[in-house]
Amino acid sequence: MNRRIIAAIVRKDLRVVRRSRALMTPLIVLPVLLMIVFPTVFTYLPRMMGGARESFAEMFRNLPDPVKRQFGEFTQATWIRVVHTQMLAPLMLLVPFMVANVIAADGFAGERERKTLEPLLYTPATDAELFVAKLLAAWIPAVMIAFGGAFVYAVIVNVTAWPVMQRVFFPDITWVVMVLWMAPAFAALGLAGMLLVSLRVRGMQEATQLGGLFVLPVIALVVGEVRGAILLGPFKAVAIGVLVWAIAGALLAFGIGRFKRTTLVGKL
Amino acid sequence: MPVIVLDHVVHRYGDTVALRDLSLTVAEGEVFSLLGHNGAGKTTTVRIVNGLLAPESGTVEVFGKSPLTDGADVRRRTAVLTESPTLDDRLTARETLRAFAEMYDVPSHTIAPKIDALLVEFGIAERGNDRVGGFSRGMKQRLSLARALVHDPDLLFLDEPTAGLDPAATQQLHQTVRQMARSRGRTVVLCTHNLIEAQALSDRVAVLGGGALLALGTPAELAHRMSPRLEVSIEIDPARHADAALLLASLDGLTVATERNGVLRVGGIPRERVPDIASRLVGHGIPLYRLDPHEPTLTDAYFALQQAGGGIT
Repeated sequence: MNRRIIAAIVRKDLRVVRRSRALMTPLIVLPVLLMIVFPTVFTYLPRMMGGARESFAEMFRNLPDPVKRQFGEFTQATWIRVVHTQMLAPLMLLVPFMVANVIAADGFAGERERKTLEPLLYTPATDAELFVAKLLAAWIPAVMIAFGGAFVYAVIVNVTAWPVMQRVFFPDITWVVMVLWMAPAFAALGLAGMLLVSLRVRGMQEATQLGGLFVLPVIALVVGEVRGAILLGPFKAVAIGVLVWAIAGALLAFGIGRFKRTTLVGKL
Repeated sequence: MPVIVLDHVVHRYGDTVALRDLSLTVAEGEVFSLLGHNGAGKTTTVRIVNGLLAPESGTVEVFGKSPLTDGADVRRRTAVLTESPTLDDRLTARETLRAFAEMYDVPSHTIAPKIDALLVEFGIAERGNDRVGGFSRGMKQRLSLARALVHDPDLLFLDEPTAGLDPAATQQLHQTVRQMARSRGRTVVLCTHNLIEAQALSDRVAVLGGGALLALGTPAELAHRMSPRLEVSIEIDPARHADAALLLASLDGLTVATERNGVLRVGGIPRERVPDIASRLVGHGIPLYRLDPHEPTLTDAYFALQQAGGGIT
């Protein structure tokens, strides 16, 4: 593998993404929403709606029993812990997934649509080098944004919850596993899904529509967590991460077998 | 030593035969043109030679290597200027050239001066830091050519290189092609519909039709092979036109048509009979002011070949 060629393709792809308003808008809005706006609003919600404390207590009483057992009696501190570790935390996994998904769509289907794929195929990059470069161009920013966003999320949660918690209570071990182990796995899943879709479709629009279907496992995880069906702990987080890595790995292995110049050129 | 060897190459897209038993060689330092209508197989040939397509049968060698098994080695020494400027609008000209220089593994310390030189050579130095999206079609084509040359390829494929270029840029490109082949010893394969361009630049041409090789040779060889008889313009005293026309019409196989400005145009003349015609006119006391034989062109040969659709190699 020629690392210089790979790095050149990655740099080029990232530069192209950075300069696309259409791509950058969702890449900025989603992390800001999930990692800054949501934690801030949800922390302050009971205090902002002071008269509605009983409503939140009622909402808490309606949570599944396993969740209630885990968090105990309803207090403002309980609310903060439930919201940040139970309800919002899994949403963080949408960020690496979506970032990888969107960049991969641009790198594969978008490049074909703009007719800029053909000159790449004429370069000395081997099929494997092209494949790896395209994967890294989507995976690296997805993971970096996830890590950066997670750090921002942790800071915001602790700062906004300080008046109630009076200590640094976040992140917990489950969330650390989620960020360091599951987030890269979901990024890999997002780009693997998009890769498979892009090999079959010609346009960016088709690719994003079909590739978005791979978000369903993330949605299932979020719903399962909120409904108390999963109740992520560190071991479950590791296990789910292994499963997602395995699925992403299988999809990528399937994709690399089909990622060949001789196949790609037929779609130009 | 041949740079490209195609031996009985066949390629299909589904049921459509793109290349039929194509065999040809391209020598080092040669400017070689692939001529043919759309769908004749020119682009397919370029893709096969660069390892982007696998032929259904037959063998391909480029620099003595197979593009399929040694594709990276082959492509390191080739460059392809595609028909439309396939540039990324969101990169600047300089970023485009740098990215491709790195992909072709050009030594780092030579990249910046190389880019500067190419931007100057192709007249886009002042726009080097502008995004390509704001470039005109001609500027994009020039940048595409600069991109193709950024790694000093030994073998350059130019697919309709002057499409969208103004006359000055076209002339510059022709000079570049000649310079590459003559002084730098590079090989150039030109895919074009522009027969005048092909005749002016090429050492040899291959005419493709329906994926088959219809003819192969130098432009002059093909022209003479397909049009062995000349057409001659004869300028004489207008008062003697009738006498001259009568005399020429009496000669076997000649067709006489009067042209404007008192010039007779006579077709179907074998090359060896041109002196005889001149002497006959003079011998009949007809003052001959000018006799101008028109050489058959590659254009004549091309259309004759496409009409015939038969193989002459």
